[in-house]
Amino acid sequence: MSVSVLRNSSPSEPRILLAGVLALLVHLIFVAIMIFGLDWKDHPPEGMVVDIWTELPKPIQEPVKTQPPPKQPKPVPEPVKPKPEPEPTKPEPPKPEPAKPEPVKPEPVKPAPQKAVVEPPVKKPDIALKQKPEPIKETKPDLEEQKKKEQEKIKEQERLKDLEKQKELEKKKELEKQKELEKKKELDKQKELEKQKELEKQKELQKQKEKDLAAQQQREREAKAQREADAKRAAQQAAARNQVTNEISKYKALILAKIKSRIVMPPDLPGNPVAEFNVTLLPGGDILDVRVSKSSGHAVFDNAVERAIFLSKPLPLPPDPALFNEFRNLNITVHYRE
Amino acid sequence: MSTTVTQDMSFLHLISSASLLVQLVMLILVLISLSSWWFIFRKLFVIRYEIKKTDEFEDIFWRGVDLNALHQRIISSRYESGSLERIFAAGFGEFNKHPVGSDLDAVMESTRRAMRATYQREMDHLESHLSFLATVGSVSPYIGLLGTVWGIMNSFRSLSSVTQATIAHVAPGIAEALIATAMGLFAAIPAVVAYNRYASRTDQLATRFESFMEELSNVLQRRAAE
Repeated sequence: MSVSVLRNSSPSEPRILLAGVLALLVHLIFVAIMIFGLDWKDHPPEGMVVDIWTELPKPIQEPVKTQPPPKQPKPVPEPVKPKPEPEPTKPEPPKPEPAKPEPVKPEPVKPAPQKAVVEPPVKKPDIALKQKPEPIKETKPDLEEQKKKEQEKIKEQERLKDLEKQKELEKKKELEKQKELEKKKELDKQKELEKQKELEKQKELQKQKEKDLAAQQQREREAKAQREADAKRAAQQAAARNQVTNEISKYKALILAKIKSRIVMPPDLPGNPVAEFNVTLLPGGDILDVRVSKSSGHAVFDNAVERAIFLSKPLPLPPDPALFNEFRNLNITVHYRE
Repeated sequence: MSTTVTQDMSFLHLISSASLLVQLVMLILVLISLSSWWFIFRKLFVIRYEIKKTDEFEDIFWRGVDLNALHQRIISSRYESGSLERIFAAGFGEFNKHPVGSDLDAVMESTRRAMRATYQREMDHLESHLSFLATVGSVSPYIGLLGTVWGIMNSFRSLSSVTQATIAHVAPGIAEALIATAMGLFAAIPAVVAYNRYASRTDQLATRFESFMEELSNVLQRRAAE
């Protein structure tokens, strides 16, 4: 009996749950070590930089004296390009300028005669209308004269007087009209004179403009000559510094090539992202600082390029320390696909 | 191991960007590792408990306690008893069942059989799951290796579509794949260590149980002869 009891009693196992909790704990600790262990390695050591700065104050001052060379990029590319451009463009503008004022002048001249022609005919019909009603009134008093001769004579006299008066009036009117016409003619003449004067003035203006244009052209030619001279000087300077620029561009290409060789390109990014970096260098090719000036939008790619920049130190620099100023702040752009 | 390779990429990112089969292998390895650690801790507690109970019982037994009283106490508290106590209870119970004056050899034979049966059961209980730890220790590196080989195959296959082949195209894939091997090793190493340690401990306990069985049968034989 007691044996059967013992057989059935399954041996009790202590702390199964605690074992499970401990197993989970072990894994959590392991994962945490993996993740944080990686983070520690991501941070590059920074202590190196301070030592290098203290050693190199003199080489930094030397390039300051020889700073004029940085002017090269400004005159070299700029004057060479504008020279061909202004030559064709400047002769063109003076042609359209005189062409425009010429069509404008005939326009004011034509409207003036049109007004003079239209005005007189309008006034003439007015005079004719006034003259016609007057003879109709004269016929009616003629009938009264037949009835009374005396009255007729008196009336005739009166009529004569009236006629005379009328004639005088007509004469006066005619004189007035003549005067008016004369005035109009005078006015027209004056207008014509004014127009002539205006034309003369315009001609003078044109001449002045032409003179100005000629002067401008002369000035431009002088300026061109000066620019050409400057360009020649710049070209001479450029030729003198071509070797320097060649060396700078050569070393910039070398730096870019070295960085590109170290990039661990992340696979399968869409499109062709471009990352731009601003790299601050120290004499000797060490990297002081790397900043993302324009992110590609893919953190993986940015990080890969940044890592490659750090990996590729020391960067290749020209042996001449005077050229270091060209490399102090480098802008590096990297395309995902080339 | 893989941490040095994945220095440039985050650990979780590498796992999430791995191929499906590699991820499956990783999942299996995580489950195996979890269960193996669970069994490691369970066996640790069980074996410690058995050793403690065995020490206590041997101490009490050799102090010369009344065997009948000891047997009664063990039966009354059977759920808190150790393996050795249960072996004693089985043997002593079987011995007491025989009436006084029966054949000594037959009595001792049946007593020994009863004790051996309990001993087998107890050893089976102690050694349970140890085979699982042994299996994990031997198999999980291979599972991890399978994931690694598959991941490297994939990364080389993607290399074929690139005109200019650089190590940069292969490195991330290999780094991912190597995580599987790392996980397999992580599961295997503690399992192997635990298996060896627990196997030796259970062997020690087994020899102690067997020697106790021999001694108890001697004690009972003397008691029957008196």
